Amino acid sequence: MALKALDIFKLLPKTNCKKCGCPTCLAFAMKLAQKQANLDQCPDVTAEAKAQLEGSAAPPIRLVTIGTGNSKLEIGNETVMFRHEESFYHPPGIGVVIPDNLDDNELNARIEAVEKLQFVRVGAHIRSDIVAVENVSGQADPFAKTAAAVQKLDLPTVLMSKEPANIDKVLESCKDKRPLIYGASADNWEKYAAIAKEKQCPLAVSEADLDKLAALTEKVKAAGVEDIILDLTSAGISETLQALTAARQLALKKNVRSLGYPSLAISSSAQTAGEQVAECCTYIAKYAGIVLTGLHHPEYILPLLTLRQNLYTDPRKPIQVEPKLNQVGTVTTTSPLLITTNFSLTYYTVEGEVEASRIPSFIGAIDTDGTSVLTAFASDKLTAEKIAAFLKSDAVKDKVTHKKVIIPGYVAVMSGALEEESGWKVLVGPREASGLPKYLKTVWKSE
Amino acid sequence: MKMLEEARGKWVGSLNEVVIGATKQQGGTRTSTVTVGGEKTLPFLAYEGPTKNRPVVAMEIWDREPEDWPNSLMEALGDAVKSPAEWAKKCVEEFCAEMLCLHLMGTHPDFGNASPQSAAAVVKSVLAATGVPLIIWGCDHDETDNEVLPRCSEAAKGEKCLIGAVKEDNYKTLVSFCLADGHSLIGLSPIDINIAKQVNILVSEMGFPLDRMVMYPTTGALGYGLEYVYSIQERSRVAALGGDKMMSMPVICMVGQESWRTKEAKASAEEAAGWGDENTRGVFWEIATATALLQAGSDIMVMRHPAAMTAIKNVINKLVK
Amino acid sequence: MKTYSVTFLPDEKTVQAAAGKSVLEAAIVAGIPLNSVCAGEGVCGKCRVIVKAGKVEAEPNGFLTRREIQRGMALACRTFIQGNVVVEIPPESRISGIPQLASEDAIRFGRISERVGDGAAFPRNPLSGKEYLELPEPSLTDNIADQERIYRELQGRRNLPAMQMGLSILQKLPELLRESRWKVTALLGYRGGTTEVIEIEPGDTTARHLGIALDVGTTTVVAHLVDLQSSETLATKAKYNSQISLGDDVISRIMYSRTNERLKQLRDLVVNDINDLITGLVMDAKVKFHDVAYIVCAGNTTMVHLLLGLNPANIRREPYVPCAVMPPVIRAAEIGIKINPRGLLLALPCVSSYVGGDVVADVLVTGMTDSTDLSLLIDLGTNGELVIGNSDWLVCCSASAGPSFEGGGITCGMRATDGAIEHISLLPGGETAECSVVGGGKPLGICGSGLIDAIAELLRNGCIDRRGRFVSKGCSAKMIRETESGEKEFVICPGKGTVLGKDIVLTEADIDNLIHSKGSIYMAAECLLAHVDLTFNDIKHIYIAGGFGNYLNIERAVEIGLLPDVDRNRFHFVGNGSVQGAKMALLSQDALHYIQVRIAGAMTDFELSSDHKYMNEYSSCLFLPHTNIEKFPSLKKKNRNLSEGARNSP
Repeated sequence: MALKALDIFKLLPKTNCKKCGCPTCLAFAMKLAQKQANLDQCPDVTAEAKAQLEGSAAPPIRLVTIGTGNSKLEIGNETVMFRHEESFYHPPGIGVVIPDNLDDNELNARIEAVEKLQFVRVGAHIRSDIVAVENVSGQADPFAKTAAAVQKLDLPTVLMSKEPANIDKVLESCKDKRPLIYGASADNWEKYAAIAKEKQCPLAVSEADLDKLAALTEKVKAAGVEDIILDLTSAGISETLQALTAARQLALKKNVRSLGYPSLAISSSAQTAGEQVAECCTYIAKYAGIVLTGLHHPEYILPLLTLRQNLYTDPRKPIQVEPKLNQVGTVTTTSPLLITTNFSLTYYTVEGEVEASRIPSFIGAIDTDGTSVLTAFASDKLTAEKIAAFLKSDAVKDKVTHKKVIIPGYVAVMSGALEEESGWKVLVGPREASGLPKYLKTVWKSE
Repeated sequence: MKMLEEARGKWVGSLNEVVIGATKQQGGTRTSTVTVGGEKTLPFLAYEGPTKNRPVVAMEIWDREPEDWPNSLMEALGDAVKSPAEWAKKCVEEFCAEMLCLHLMGTHPDFGNASPQSAAAVVKSVLAATGVPLIIWGCDHDETDNEVLPRCSEAAKGEKCLIGAVKEDNYKTLVSFCLADGHSLIGLSPIDINIAKQVNILVSEMGFPLDRMVMYPTTGALGYGLEYVYSIQERSRVAALGGDKMMSMPVICMVGQESWRTKEAKASAEEAAGWGDENTRGVFWEIATATALLQAGSDIMVMRHPAAMTAIKNVINKLVK
Repeated sequence: MKTYSVTFLPDEKTVQAAAGKSVLEAAIVAGIPLNSVCAGEGVCGKCRVIVKAGKVEAEPNGFLTRREIQRGMALACRTFIQGNVVVEIPPESRISGIPQLASEDAIRFGRISERVGDGAAFPRNPLSGKEYLELPEPSLTDNIADQERIYRELQGRRNLPAMQMGLSILQKLPELLRESRWKVTALLGYRGGTTEVIEIEPGDTTARHLGIALDVGTTTVVAHLVDLQSSETLATKAKYNSQISLGDDVISRIMYSRTNERLKQLRDLVVNDINDLITGLVMDAKVKFHDVAYIVCAGNTTMVHLLLGLNPANIRREPYVPCAVMPPVIRAAEIGIKINPRGLLLALPCVSSYVGGDVVADVLVTGMTDSTDLSLLIDLGTNGELVIGNSDWLVCCSASAGPSFEGGGITCGMRATDGAIEHISLLPGGETAECSVVGGGKPLGICGSGLIDAIAELLRNGCIDRRGRFVSKGCSAKMIRETESGEKEFVICPGKGTVLGKDIVLTEADIDNLIHSKGSIYMAAECLLAHVDLTFNDIKHIYIAGGFGNYLNIERAVEIGLLPDVDRNRFHFVGNGSVQGAKMALLSQDALHYIQVRIAGAMTDFELSSDHKYMNEYSSCLFLPHTNIEKFPSLKKKNRNLSEGARNSP
């Protein structure tokens, strides 16, 4: 159990000497509690205090790495049941399962399709970041061939087979890429564990229910494999959802170390695409560390990647949209130009209202570190100078012929300064975004 | 199953049950009613307990033909969108909707400015066209809603509709009418869990019963604010299960309205090369939005595309079995 | 540049002003401080004047009605001189009157003798001492230097590990010693790591040795004259801080101070105020300026910066960095303060940009660090600061409550001075039952404590809902009316009974402002508690300090959710902790050391503006008393009656 800040404080020297870089011992204790500092920074901490503090540091859910290099996937080390309690930390890998019984053309096409599952959203690069090869044929050669072809993607890989020998063979050529081995269950785990230990790869284990799974992971760990992934794919979405949730709850709250590993869920292809998408979304939202599906078209995968991006944003940090000039509707050089901040909620609200007004407009999102209009204004992040610079920038200056800019009502006081700085005429818009449709239809129209 | 037993949450509260629709015996003309809420557990966790009432999907219809819905949506709905009563019929008979949400966008001063009387007439025509329970939603323009919704409430008296929406600074008018006419009420809050609770308190302090209230924390589509709403809904559910009576109302989501506004739903193939089939993108966006919100804790999903609705209904059935 | 004369009535003061200068600027030159919450930006409407004669150019604004404009009324900050003018300043625009002083008898912390002296926590060893020396004359067997002779004598009497003496003293020393026949008085002063021999005077002057404890508040400046031999307080004086005309709060003053000239202007205003107070003290106590050797002052970080002429610009910019929190001891004359020309001035240490020496002084005065009991200190002044802790640890934060506690941003709001309604109770239906006005005369406006009373009463009577909006059913019709712009207002006091002859009203916007202010304080307290994993129930003592804090009715404050609903016996008023803490430091070097190491040095500051709990949950505090009524169990019963009453009303 993690120690609270005050408890940590009691173990520190309490001299406020500042050698650790923090102004007081209590400030240092707070940082230690949030894992933002290292105990080594304090030169005067006693040996017993050190022992006590370090004892409580082991994460309840192990951090497991799959793959190597820049594209490696790290999952686990989660600390909460609900993102609003703190945050989720390691976004799950979302991957396509490629069967080994495709002909060459199909295989190439499939690999190309997976390669295309990369997008840019709110300035971030999101992609399908893991790939699985399934030994549907049961034979070693097609499996090896497919696995080799898939290496072109340079993604962390899951090798799925019911035949441990087939996996062993594939690993001869790619073990240093640290793929995840999948296939171990109650009746064959020893062989898989031996391979995993020898080749230093993580191992996914499956069982009929959580009790049996917990017993199995203990055996696997005793056999020398510590990087374990729990395969919680069950009979259907309901059972899998329950397994994912219960495993997380038990690891975090009941200290069940034998379930303290990231989990994996595979969506069943025996249902419509819509239901598969829904199933994957459910697992992404509910604790899976890896979600695998046979679907590979962008219209199915983009929503999954977006959901992952949304839920794994730290709720304590404001989300920012890209600071730039946006267009809503078919704009012309006489369209209105509005200014707002790059706090995503503010921006989307303004954009929504402008859309509802049906008056095509430009919206300039100014970089205010993702703070809202009032906060940005009070902390000097939304200033006349910044807006003027934006208006003078190449991206903006010739977009409209009228040289009029609409600023949020709450920052009316800066109109004089902004006019001076920019040379544009400043119109003061409504205080609330909900007033925009009316404003654009009446005040702007009459300008 | 020792592990699952161990994993159960210890909840002391539950959601209120709200019944929408009244049959002949109950004073209305509905052929079916819908009961939502009542949960004593986190969403769909059978090991914590059975789901009392499964979440319900309502189909959204308008009182005027929508002008800028994308083709992929309009094609699925066909010409029925020209008449609210036809549209209602098609939703129920062809798409098997269990509930309807009549969105009175035509009354908005900028979108048709239809009179309160004509809105009430539309309500009556929709009630006549099908037997499923009805949600009546205003146009979200306070002055207009304060005139239109009371007339609609009267027109639907006895049918136990769900009427939306009241806000923190505009609730007194609608509360009186819904109280008198026997309807349930939707309380709207702007992605703020505290304001959601405040609305519930203000409304209940006017004497409106708690078990006729539904919360609308505002819906953000996938990629456009979803996570804010997701966390608010999770927090609401946890608060309700923890015993907070002022947060124990079922939750409604406007999934269709929000997801079909997105670029992913609307953009043409040229504008969005690489995003996939323009005919189905929107459907999957709506499905994904709905699925996420179901996991956060939702009771009524108001959707637009029949294929998305069907997929979600099937998923709900699987989750609740 | 043409200059014109500006005559102010009824003060009958005339000054010269350049064409184009604003009437506000001219008033400052004339020494007539005008209200200006927004420091002259034209957005608060509080600097109304009447142009009686002469040519001006007045910018249009939204604050004045047509009738008022026809009367010649204008906003002083937006009215620019274009000719010789005569301007009348109405009473409501002045920073006038003497601020109410905290009654020190009311609180048990007032007795300095209990805290400093024999048997008390801190021994008596003032920061300035006087020693009468009869030095042995030099001889062949004892011919150490004059300076060393003095040091030797002093070190024989006191523990003075390090000493210093100024060049100007040395330059006159040989002659002075011999002329006074080696009988001199040494005036000593604490100077950081050393003791300075500030002055050498002929003969025995030990009978006259004074110090000043100074509270440099954002709104009021308070000075106490202390006899350093007896520890007695000889006189006290207070006045409003003249910087108010350049901004009501620290942020607006920091924004004003963007040039060196303006920084100097702000400093001069407060230095003049301090000198005025010192003159008053010296005259009252019938002593001389020369006898005042040491000043200890306490103020919030911005006030200290402005007093010392330090650039405060980065205080308000993320990441909120002050120039200095432990400024050195200086000679008071360096900043223009008139006491003994070689007298010293020490500012109590600050903690961060928004938690200053005044709060540090409060902590000392409450004694909260003497015990393991957990305490919460709330300093409710123009700004709001909170401290939680005990003898083991201390945490603090600043809450941006806004000016409404001081009447700022409130239609009929004013400070707690003559004419302010400070307490009020209402009958069911909304009529006034009882009302008390500062100074006892007709009301001019309503101040913070009066606002809190009014809102609590309106809530109890069902005149407002829990979001602070008027409920017409709860109040008799004549108490709530609608203005021409469609807004509702509640009449607290009809015009015929008021000083200005205008109704004193409360609008929904006023109530909303106060709700936001009280919400900031309560939320700040909850956040600070959350950081140390505690709740209000863990707190044994809640201390209320700060100018406005003294007049609070605890029960009403709990009813609106400003203060937590705990056993009322846990609340204690501190009075003016700032000046008392300064005084304790003045009288005891040990107390000063304690402040530096155990208080200021130990306080861990939290910045709430980026605190996600604050941002997420703030709106829950915008309800009366709170969205989660379970936090206010003693009010739950009252509220049940409230909703039942509403249900039964027609």
